[in-house]
Amino acid sequence: MREAEAGLRALVHEVEVYEHNPKRLYIRVPRERITDAAKYLHRERGMRLSTCTGIDTRDGLEVLYHFSEDSTGTMYTLKVLAPKDDPSIESQAPWLPAADWIEREMHELLGIDFPGHPNLVPLLTSDTDWEQGRYPLRRDYERRSEQHEE
Amino acid sequence: MSWFSGWWLAFAFIVFPGFLFSSTVGLALTWVDRLVSARVQWRKGPPAYQPFADVLKLLLKETVVPAGAARTAFLLAPIIGLAAMCVTAVLLFYVNFFPHASFVGDIIVLVYLFALPPLATIVGASASRNPLSAVGASREMTLYLGYELPFLLALVVPIVKTGGAIRLGDFVLMQQAGGPFLYSVSGVIAALIVLICIQAKLGYPPFDIAEAEQEIMSGVLIEYSGAPLAVFRITKAMMFFLMPLFLVTVFWGGLGNWWAILKFLLIVVLLVLIKNTNPRLKIDHALRFFWFILGVLGIAAVVLAFVGL
Amino acid sequence: MKDVRIWGLKRSPWVYHVAAASCNNCDIEILELLTPRYDVERFGIVLVGSPRHADALLVTGVINRKSLPRVLEVYEQTPKPCLVIGVGTCTCNNHIFRNSYNAVGPYDKYLPMSAYIPGCPPKPEAMILGVVKALSKL
Repeated sequence: MREAEAGLRALVHEVEVYEHNPKRLYIRVPRERITDAAKYLHRERGMRLSTCTGIDTRDGLEVLYHFSEDSTGTMYTLKVLAPKDDPSIESQAPWLPAADWIEREMHELLGIDFPGHPNLVPLLTSDTDWEQGRYPLRRDYERRSEQHEE
Repeated sequence: MSWFSGWWLAFAFIVFPGFLFSSTVGLALTWVDRLVSARVQWRKGPPAYQPFADVLKLLLKETVVPAGAARTAFLLAPIIGLAAMCVTAVLLFYVNFFPHASFVGDIIVLVYLFALPPLATIVGASASRNPLSAVGASREMTLYLGYELPFLLALVVPIVKTGGAIRLGDFVLMQQAGGPFLYSVSGVIAALIVLICIQAKLGYPPFDIAEAEQEIMSGVLIEYSGAPLAVFRITKAMMFFLMPLFLVTVFWGGLGNWWAILKFLLIVVLLVLIKNTNPRLKIDHALRFFWFILGVLGIAAVVLAFVGL
Repeated sequence: MKDVRIWGLKRSPWVYHVAAASCNNCDIEILELLTPRYDVERFGIVLVGSPRHADALLVTGVINRKSLPRVLEVYEQTPKPCLVIGVGTCTCNNHIFRNSYNAVGPYDKYLPMSAYIPGCPPKPEAMILGVVKALSKL
């Protein structure tokens, strides 16, 4: 087992690791331990945050943090699930500047709240012609209804 | 001099060799510039009437004055440069064809006249109320401080060679008698310095820092449109005609014979080739280049001129 | 006088490139158009750096809510008469972005278009044909 994986399992006991291929690992982490896991990978393992993904799944809203281990070319992806009625995940932006804008984008397009984010204002949607609070990337967003007609 | 009487003077300023003649020849030379640039890039280039079509189109377009701009300064700034170039044209032709009648200090007047078109762009840019044009104005000012120093040093060389006479007429007469100033070591250095300073005065690459299209969206001229823009372009075309003429007058024997036309065209082509083969300099590099390289060369040229070379 | 003005405009159309929420493919093709290979300077076409110097606006991209007020402002700043030429299929109809929550419809809802050049992205030859057709309509 890889060092990073072993260290992570020692730190956070409730992880589930899925190895898609030798260079791609998906690690499910419980919501309250995401900061510890991300800090471990970034600070102690020297991985860089490549990007984050937000998905609207059947079980809730999921956020994936992709950390790249540049020395071996392996991607460690941390998956965090938040239930739909309480979509909030602790923000990584205070200690990881790379996550700042990505979390703003996920907040305005998917409706995931990131408590602790220093500047959670809209990033991409229009400042003049868009009501905040509609989340277009959710599966139940009606595209052709009067909800979105200009 | 009866040539100075009112009607003749008005004719000289407006028709020949003033506004109409210089602007027509200048615009035709900008076509030569575009043609040479096109050939150097293996393409065909615009037709011969292109610069005239450009100016005509601009003159008939709407002029927009930005809200909050200093309206009078904005609209009058281009005229400063145009007027200066008309006077320069009259002066240069007069000195070349009547060298005995030039006055003491006319070369200093000429230096000041050549300083007016950059000043016009600076005033116009500052009146534009646009942050990018303010950046362009500051770059133009810095560039001016840069190239004026070696330019003046290079102009000291012919003054030394004529034994201290500050009259363009004396330069022309001495060259007609004893051979162009260019045929001497100090003359070559001084002429090269003046050539590079002309490139900067015209705002051509590598010194098109003030009007950098890709960086600051046409910098100094960003808010100009319609007729004032046409006037700026005509002024630049006139400079493109008069500055090589100035170089030929001061260093290469003046317009005494028909060979002068070939010499003039050679200088124009050199300017265009330098324009096409160089990328843009940064403003601090340009300043260092003008002061520490060309400035030192200028001092060397003056010393050589004193020694007699 | 009007004929003289139109002659001037036809012989020397200066273009300014406005990219409003495009995927940049059409922008790259416009850049290719202005290279020595296609030599559009023969027609007097010059790329200018400021909308105030422009006679033709080359607009690309599907216009979206955020860029709409900005594109309108650029159009206001261009001295009239000016052509607006839409490059790429996104300017004609929203193309593949037609169901997007952010795309607010083709350009002719907001600007008077002179020509459309369809293609995704259009070839430079198609762009030259489009510009020539737009100029001949003047």
